[in-house]
Amino acid sequence: MNSIFDWLTIILRRDLLIAFRRSATYITPLIFFLIVVTFFPLALGPQESLLSSLAPGVIWIATLLASLLAVESIFSEDFRDGTLDDFFISLEPSFVLVFAKVLIHWLITGLPIMAASIIAAVVLYLPFDSFLPILLSLILGTSFMSLLGALGAALSLGKSAILSAIIVLPFSIPTLLMGTSVITSSINNQDYFGFLMIMGAMLAIGIPLLCLLTVEALLLNYD
Amino acid sequence: MLPNLKVENLSCVRSEKAIFENLNFDVFPGQNIEIIGSNGSGKTTLLRAILGLIRPENGTIRWLDGDNNFNEYRTYDCFYQGHQLGIKNLLTVFENLNLTHNAKGLKKETIHKCLERVGLSNINDPASSLSVGQRKRISIARWLLKDFKIYFIDEPFSALDDEATDLIENLIIELNTQGCSFVITGHRPSQVEASRIEI
Amino acid sequence: MTSMWKVLKQWFIEMGSPPLFYNWSSKIIPWLGIATLVLLSIGIFWGLFVSPIDYKQGDVYRILYIHVPSAILGESIFIFMAICGFINVIWRAKISGMMLKAAAPIGMSFTLLVLVTGSVWGKPTWGTWWVWDARLTSTLILFFIYAALIGLHSTIEDKTKADRAVSILSIVGVAIIPVIKKSVDWWQTLHQPSTFTITSSPSMSPEMYLPLLVCLLGFYLFFAFSLTLNLRNEVLDRERSKNWVKQKFSS
Repeated sequence: MNSIFDWLTIILRRDLLIAFRRSATYITPLIFFLIVVTFFPLALGPQESLLSSLAPGVIWIATLLASLLAVESIFSEDFRDGTLDDFFISLEPSFVLVFAKVLIHWLITGLPIMAASIIAAVVLYLPFDSFLPILLSLILGTSFMSLLGALGAALSLGKSAILSAIIVLPFSIPTLLMGTSVITSSINNQDYFGFLMIMGAMLAIGIPLLCLLTVEALLLNYD
Repeated sequence: MLPNLKVENLSCVRSEKAIFENLNFDVFPGQNIEIIGSNGSGKTTLLRAILGLIRPENGTIRWLDGDNNFNEYRTYDCFYQGHQLGIKNLLTVFENLNLTHNAKGLKKETIHKCLERVGLSNINDPASSLSVGQRKRISIARWLLKDFKIYFIDEPFSALDDEATDLIENLIIELNTQGCSFVITGHRPSQVEASRIEI
Repeated sequence: MTSMWKVLKQWFIEMGSPPLFYNWSSKIIPWLGIATLVLLSIGIFWGLFVSPIDYKQGDVYRILYIHVPSAILGESIFIFMAICGFINVIWRAKISGMMLKAAAPIGMSFTLLVLVTGSVWGKPTWGTWWVWDARLTSTLILFFIYAALIGLHSTIEDKTKADRAVSILSIVGVAIIPVIKKSVDWWQTLHQPSTFTITSSPSMSPEMYLPLLVCLLGFYLFFAFSLTLNLRNEVLDRERSKNWVKQKFSS
């Protein structure tokens, strides 16, 4: 049992160190998110009423697109330099190690997006009370996106990034719908807890299922 | 003395064509196996099939466990190094060794000693700025972090100068005396004392 | 009972062998084709011309005889694909991977048919060519998922590997489709309630309901027919370098 935690900490330390040495890894999703958010007022006009009614959708669309952007790099570098082989040769369950990679992707992508979402909420005229629901929905949503993104990256390893986006986007629609419902309900002073529970349930089932399937998908690349 | 690994009737297929068929060999402690073949002949596939990365079409791979029985699952760690060396470009030489699973619990001095043995003691640069030969030496240093029963190295002698080749040969001899075995691949037979298999 | 189980198991294993499957399918194709033609023609003729006019919608409602079976087929085929995918991932049965690949375009076409017929139905009934209601929207999402599966398969050169990749994705798909439907339901409801489900009784008169069932059966037979044809092509394509294929076609 100890050994798997050792593995996890080593992977976390190593990949986070690499990610911080290449600052583009965590800056790019954040900037992309903010750019997408900016496009909406630019394209639709800056009226407060319009923007605040569109804001939940805008934030979530930007989140989906930005998290998918960084998906390609989860496994491609490790596959190319041979580090990924260790996951499958070790005696530890590989899906736990894949989960570590998903966690790292979330720390690099989801967390900056969550920080940027507050900025987006401010510029899109959302009320202060909605900030907590936004963050809660984004924690659950971006983690699920990292899981889906890992599967998409594993299936399209070595191919174009657009392919992994096409694979993943239809499956992220429930997250989109639930996430926007959370924010909209909070603005209308309705109870949003139910939607959060559903997102949490998706995450609970998704973590084991998607990590297992990602292991299968990664092993495909060795044939 | 029982072998640590028994490979029986191994066949692998890619795109409906057989890459190799009916390979048989045993790996005894302290003895080496060298697999010789041209490019694309399936050397990498063979290593991957033994280690479980690929499912072979036919054949059995059996490992010796602690009770001297043969099982189809492995109970101990092996060392595998593919073509790509497993080195992270953005990490320094030391970090490339320290931040691996095999370095768990090792003191810094031990790791520095391993680096000294391969001649990389005072280099603090990230691995991206090193030459190919030096990067290979980092991967060789990883062999020394822990004792493995079997080392699977894909083409250890490719793109190496004479000094590094001698280093590897001496290391293999030394590790053989400690009971470790090497399964290596290559285009041409090397100077390592090993049973040769051609595919 | 056990001997019947053994016979079934033996047949199942035999079907995994491409040449045996090919020979067996050559025998059943004509029967499948005839049955499909018969049932489809009866069903469509009955539905389009014979069954009574709906008092609310007039003759337009008749498009339901194509729309509803297509919708049911589109979803059934996806579940079928997911089962094939599951078998392929767990037991590595190549034939189920090929079945998945052969079924995908058929399912996608049915889904497209649902969208088109839904659109044609909507214009005279509700006045617009498209409505973002729960059923149509989730069908559109299903269409995208089919497209993703077919697209993924085409990007991978090694066919067996491509089959496994699509199998993995279809497993995720089948798990997420109920979630998609429920969440789209929450999102909006405008589409009329389903005409019949497996558990509840139909809300149509038997004179309208029976031709629908015949059409549905005809559509299922069409699926079986085209799946077998596709599968035969797949088998030939992948085994083209093998002797039995060369023997069959060289004479």
